[in-house]
Amino acid sequence: MAAALRPRRLTRSAHYVVALAVLLVVLVPVIYAVLGGFRTTGQISANPVGLPRPWVFDNYREILGSDTFWRQLRNSVVVAALTMAVIVPCASLAAFALARFEFAGREAVYALFTIGLLFPLTVAVLPLFISLRTADLLNNPLGVALPQAAFGLPTSIIVLRPFFRAIPAELEEAAALDGCGPFRFFYKVALPLSRPVLATVSVLAIVSSWNAFLLPLVVLSQPDQWTLPLGVTNFSTQYSSDTARVLAFTSLSMVPALVFYVIAERQIVRGLASGALKG
Amino acid sequence: MHRRIARTALLVGLAALVAASCGGDDDDAASSSDDGASGSDEPVTIEWWHIQNNDPGLSLWEDVAAEFEAEHPNVTIDITVYENEAFKTAIAPRLQAGDPPDLFQSWGGGELEQQVDAGLVQDISDGVAPWIDTLNQAAVTMYQVGDAQYGIPFDLGMVGFWYNKDLFAQAGIDAPPATWDELLTDVQKLKDAGITPLALGEGDKWPGMFWWAYLALRNGGPDAMREAGETGSFDSEPFVAAGEQLSELIALDPFQAGHLAAVWDGAGGQAATIATSGAAFHLMGQWAPGTQNANSPDGQGLGDKLGWFPFPAVDGGDGDPTDGFGGGNGFAVGRDAPPEAIEFLEYISSMDVARRWGETNSGILPVVIGSEDSITDPNLQGILAARADASFVQLYLDQAYDPDLGNAINDAVEQLYAGQASAEDVAQTIADAAGG
Amino acid sequence: MTAERPPGGTRPPPTADPGVVSPASGAGSGRAGARWSRRATIIAFLTPALVLYVLLALVPILQGAFYSGFDWNGLEPLEQFVGLQNYREALADPVFLAALRHVGVILVLSLVLQLPFALGLAVLLNERMRGRAVLRLFFFLPFVLSDVITAIVWRLILQPAGLVDHTLGAAGLDGFVRLWLADPGIVLYTVFFVVSWKYFGFHMILLLAGLQGIPFELEEAAALDGASRVQTFRYVTLPLLGPTIRICVFLSIIGSLQLFDLVWVMTGGGPVGASHTTVTYMLERGFERSRFGYGSAVAVIAFLISFAFALTYQRLVLRRDVAGALTAMGER
Repeated sequence: MAAALRPRRLTRSAHYVVALAVLLVVLVPVIYAVLGGFRTTGQISANPVGLPRPWVFDNYREILGSDTFWRQLRNSVVVAALTMAVIVPCASLAAFALARFEFAGREAVYALFTIGLLFPLTVAVLPLFISLRTADLLNNPLGVALPQAAFGLPTSIIVLRPFFRAIPAELEEAAALDGCGPFRFFYKVALPLSRPVLATVSVLAIVSSWNAFLLPLVVLSQPDQWTLPLGVTNFSTQYSSDTARVLAFTSLSMVPALVFYVIAERQIVRGLASGALKG
Repeated sequence: MHRRIARTALLVGLAALVAASCGGDDDDAASSSDDGASGSDEPVTIEWWHIQNNDPGLSLWEDVAAEFEAEHPNVTIDITVYENEAFKTAIAPRLQAGDPPDLFQSWGGGELEQQVDAGLVQDISDGVAPWIDTLNQAAVTMYQVGDAQYGIPFDLGMVGFWYNKDLFAQAGIDAPPATWDELLTDVQKLKDAGITPLALGEGDKWPGMFWWAYLALRNGGPDAMREAGETGSFDSEPFVAAGEQLSELIALDPFQAGHLAAVWDGAGGQAATIATSGAAFHLMGQWAPGTQNANSPDGQGLGDKLGWFPFPAVDGGDGDPTDGFGGGNGFAVGRDAPPEAIEFLEYISSMDVARRWGETNSGILPVVIGSEDSITDPNLQGILAARADASFVQLYLDQAYDPDLGNAINDAVEQLYAGQASAEDVAQTIADAAGG
Repeated sequence: MTAERPPGGTRPPPTADPGVVSPASGAGSGRAGARWSRRATIIAFLTPALVLYVLLALVPILQGAFYSGFDWNGLEPLEQFVGLQNYREALADPVFLAALRHVGVILVLSLVLQLPFALGLAVLLNERMRGRAVLRLFFFLPFVLSDVITAIVWRLILQPAGLVDHTLGAAGLDGFVRLWLADPGIVLYTVFFVVSWKYFGFHMILLLAGLQGIPFELEEAAALDGASRVQTFRYVTLPLLGPTIRICVFLSIIGSLQLFDLVWVMTGGGPVGASHTTVTYMLERGFERSRFGYGSAVAVIAFLISFAFALTYQRLVLRRDVAGALTAMGER
């Protein structure tokens, strides 16, 4: 036993070393970006790797004081909220039907949705652009949210279906005896029971909408409609010579995602875990 | 309940989609009123997209717009500013949608021609006839397609060499090279002195194209360029020779480390390298000093140490050493633009505004005839002199031709820099892209 | 059942299958009536999602396929039909073929390097070690940042004489300094590294959850039977982790095939197309050159590849897990 313990301790230290190394590689770029915002571009050119000396607050202050950042933040929120508001009802309705009703072609419909997982949005970008143009949905948050929801349906349905399936038949029979039709069962029983996984689906929809780049790039050409990823890219090319400001802007645009992540982390992780492994 | 609301919203949204697709032409979203005849009392908005995203241009344009608005109280000018590359990405969907801004940045040439063919820009020949002759004709021609005017230039310059006088002196170069061979010798002298000779932002691809295009121009002259544009004969001798001469330069390994991925404007880019004395000289257009200054730690750039000289002659070439390669900036007029937009162009093309641009000495070389002496910077005066001498100015290749060919040229030349293609290959690739 | 069933069956049995339900709406006055109202119910449930999906996902894709048969600059009317020429051109273009190769390289490297690494970390975090929750939080962090932000920050860090080079120098590893983004021979691997940085946490979380679903008693039993840790891992843990690993592999491959945002912002596919993926190629050679027919053809090729892969994978590999885990009533 003693002999087995000693290697244990060595391996244990090795574990910590590896974990620490990975942690550094993960965190250093982020810290670099945040700290860079507190320097001037001159400081960064002179010494790419150094602490702010002196600490410069202007970059962050100007960005926070200007309209641009907040407007883009708000646009991102609006688009994400719309995407979620569309995806959750549509996906849960469809997943419920695919889980609990038996009908000819059910698996075909399910397969149709799952195939959507491998549609790169990019295939559809140009035709979507043209359709959106025709529907006058360009430069409109709905023009981004609706296609995003459409392309997000496969994942959501795949995650939701097993959960709906897992609701015991007895519950449904009991509800039927009480005169509860399928809609009411869905609304009053199934949905509340699935709250955790609905939260997961919402979180996934929000995260993916928040970080989306190509679709907003194509749909939102007016700067006052831009979402954060567009703003960050444009900012970085527009002020490409002002590295410090770009880093400040980039760091600020990380904040909402990070805050959201810290709050929702358990949800995301739990959801991913169970969604992937349900069985 | 929330389900029902969500569904309604969705159905409404989709109904809009369907209804609109069954509808006819999209009505233009633009803000201008249609009967511009009276114009003066109805509120009019002019949507203006420009790319002068740094000062002094940024503020100057704002002032110009404000002044025009003061003179024309019913007019509002909506300015949208983009950085060069971002502009190209952002304008595309607007053009796709058939909804061009009223005034937007244009370099003329083949891209303007495409826009004309698609009916996206307005023929303003009549509107500008009264004052078009006050502008430099070479510049004006770049915005003509088939004898009709579709845009107005406000700047025309030439690409040339910007160099750090101190570093040249350090390497023992007393005078800028007058021939290509001298240039190669000078590059070697710089290397021997331990100085990085050239800065290049080949990550953006077009800076590298400048070298090849100039050499082609020197080898073949305007006739070869014109013929290639018309028949696609990019595989002819002048172009192959250009590639070979450029390869000689590349073989000397004269560029800063990482040049293949470096940008023109930005951290670690071509402008930044020059501004921080990281390299001795570079080939760039007249806007170089502005960008260099913006990329320098103290915002001052090289100051007095900066010099300019034109592209050298190439022995045995058919081209005239005074031929220019370059372009400028101008504004195209969107198809739905109100007449006030043309009036605004007239104001932009006024002597006063032109002189104010000249006085900024920022690299914008106004095209209003007679405004040249507002420029005091000796380097810019050098460019102006060269511009006056040039009997022919070739527009940047990725602008002169349609985007497909223009980009193909940039991509092919990039391979030369990466050592992945020979001069013949490059010429052939471009010829194929032009012919195919 | 399936071969994956662990000995001793400590997996919670699937709940009684509720799959077959007749909506008891109570309205049906007779078979036909009940059937219609049932059909109506199903349709009502499915319609919103189907309409949205068909209109905004399927139709555009089909339209994309349609455009691919034309030579079209996006501005003029759609007139020049060229049949399969765009496809032929793409498949003959060395730059496109290189892009396909690049995607393949990233795909393989992800499977061979990134996944095992994620698995290793998952195993590590599965131990009782201090700060486990914090580590988990931080390892997942890059996944939450957008591709765009990741690309911008890393592009800065990877500049010549930037943070990475400085760090290597400080660690005495000067000899390892390279032109990370400018050297066409290396840039693809740089991209792979950044992609891994961003996504390893995601796979790690999935695998960790899988590991935590394996009861400790099993591993204990193996150890008591004299198995070494390696043997336990290989013969007990790994097989039980099978379904999770297979899903990670699937997601990793799909992700590699669709890689775009990060590459586009970080390298633009360059230099000289050395880091092009199918999608960055499509954007540069199709859309930026106003060749929308050609771009659509490239997109369709990319889609077909993803589709072929997914179909094959679902049938051959995932079906076992799917059958066992999700549709217990089964594809009998």
